[in-house]
Amino acid sequence: MGSRSSGLLFIAPATVYLVALVIYPTVYLYYMIFHSLNPLFDVTPRFVGLQNIYTLLQDPDASYAILAMLLLTGITVPVQLALGSLLALLFTSPHLRGRLVLRSVMLIPLSIPAVIVGLNWKMIFFTYGPLNTFLSSIGLEPQPWLSAPFGHTFNTFFVLAVLDIWQWTPFVALAVAAGIESIPPYIQEAAALDGATRLQMIRHIVFPLSKTVIIIVLLFRLIDSLKIFDIIYMLTFGGPGNLTTTLPFYIYKVGFTLTAARADIGYASLLAVILLLIATFLVLFVLTRVLNVKRVVWE
Amino acid sequence: MDKRILGLVITLGAWALGIIYLLPFIWMIGTSFKPIGEWGLPTLFPESPTSRNYLEILVTGGVYGVRGHFPPILRYLLNSVVVSVTVAILTSLLGAFTAYGILRYRAGGTFFANWILSLRMIPPVVILYPLVVLTKAIGLYNTLGGLVFVYPVITLPIVTWFMIGAFKSVPRETEEAAMLDGCTPFQVFTRIALPQASIGLATSAIFAFLFSWSEFLIPLLLAPSESAMPLTAFAGYFSNQYGILWGPLSAAAVIISLPVIVIAIMIQKYLIRGLTLGFIR
Repeated sequence: MGSRSSGLLFIAPATVYLVALVIYPTVYLYYMIFHSLNPLFDVTPRFVGLQNIYTLLQDPDASYAILAMLLLTGITVPVQLALGSLLALLFTSPHLRGRLVLRSVMLIPLSIPAVIVGLNWKMIFFTYGPLNTFLSSIGLEPQPWLSAPFGHTFNTFFVLAVLDIWQWTPFVALAVAAGIESIPPYIQEAAALDGATRLQMIRHIVFPLSKTVIIIVLLFRLIDSLKIFDIIYMLTFGGPGNLTTTLPFYIYKVGFTLTAARADIGYASLLAVILLLIATFLVLFVLTRVLNVKRVVWE
Repeated sequence: MDKRILGLVITLGAWALGIIYLLPFIWMIGTSFKPIGEWGLPTLFPESPTSRNYLEILVTGGVYGVRGHFPPILRYLLNSVVVSVTVAILTSLLGAFTAYGILRYRAGGTFFANWILSLRMIPPVVILYPLVVLTKAIGLYNTLGGLVFVYPVITLPIVTWFMIGAFKSVPRETEEAAMLDGCTPFQVFTRIALPQASIGLATSAIFAFLFSWSEFLIPLLLAPSESAMPLTAFAGYFSNQYGILWGPLSAAAVIISLPVIVIAIMIQKYLIRGLTLGFIR
């Protein structure tokens, strides 16, 4: 129905807009890779050729930041998927009382701004905060939760990972629960008639039919996990030392603050391109290998 | 095992988890009503509750009479509301328009749809500096207009994909009939398709609102002064400057969170659908 040109008219405004907002910045980013610009002292970018790339190769902070980002994602996302799927079974269990209220409670961590989640936990983890006071009152050792270096039992990287798991497991749980609930009830009723136990039904019906949903959730967790910024800004500002400086936060430190060893917008742009490449690679991998987007969208 | 015992175990277990999610939030509400002497105490609820934290951050500014520490946040709150509402209206309309072209006319094909989707993936920190340069060049740096101009980077992909899903459930037949009756494609869109997808449109506007309301990094760098900085960015920035003013900070956090939580619970049915851009229904 309709003509090709009217279709193009419908997408034209957004296209023009997004070209200005996304394409232009991306092109500018690649331009900046070959330039140097100190946020404090320089006014115009200075051409430096491949110097930023040399810097990157000799910058242990950058390799650590990439590693820290991948490690954080590699720890939190699988745990969230596993715990969230279990929780989804709990949410959809016919035995659960007060399901609606519980689900509303679980919406809190995914609806309030990440900054506020960070602020909230900052109060709780504060050295003289409620958690430590509580621990000492029951005779346990208070911990420097937000400034514990690597090697410490509860080092801050670990605390950050646990918090991210806390924050995003409900998202996985609610999404998988929605998936489970969309399985037509007659399938399980038929299985029950055939004498299948609840565990058998979960294994042979619920799990296979929830696979697509779990993969979609994986995709979104992956995307957002590589973006984590607000929580780190609020809780640790990348510290102690470099411990929680993941790549997005390192880009911020290099490009917008004077806290990194180098403050240079050109170099930050190179790091940004690296982040973009890693994110694109990971997401494309999931999209093309695991999830058939074309099918999901058009059919 | 007895069914009733199983039910009890499941319910208790689930609610034990629920408490873990509720406690930090209750802590925040409790602290927001604590007088200055109680901020550091590990009690969940204030012994002598006060509304002073709220009064000071909203109206007079300052912390327990000390001016200059905490400016009144009304201006920041207003910035948040103005920007989020404007972005919600603009992006939901633009997103609906785009989604309609993608779905009904297959304009731009799968490539265009996927490209829009891929924008959801870009970490904001990546394009932040170019956006600073861009907004400075067109005179929108540090203005509310600048934020309204930039936020669609985040919200437009979400809304567009959400609306693709919403239009999918609108029957094509009525649109085709309207076409035959001589409506232009634009008229079909505004008079037939959009009204039928109005719930989807409203929901996507709410999502655009929520995402704008929560945005932190972009306004932190694009709107660094009072005239444009939204409340979320202010609370984050401020708490890093004066970390331990827990009372007023909690009050600000409650003011930021409450509307969002109310909205989230209201649109609970659509929340997961929205967060997964319509992939999970």
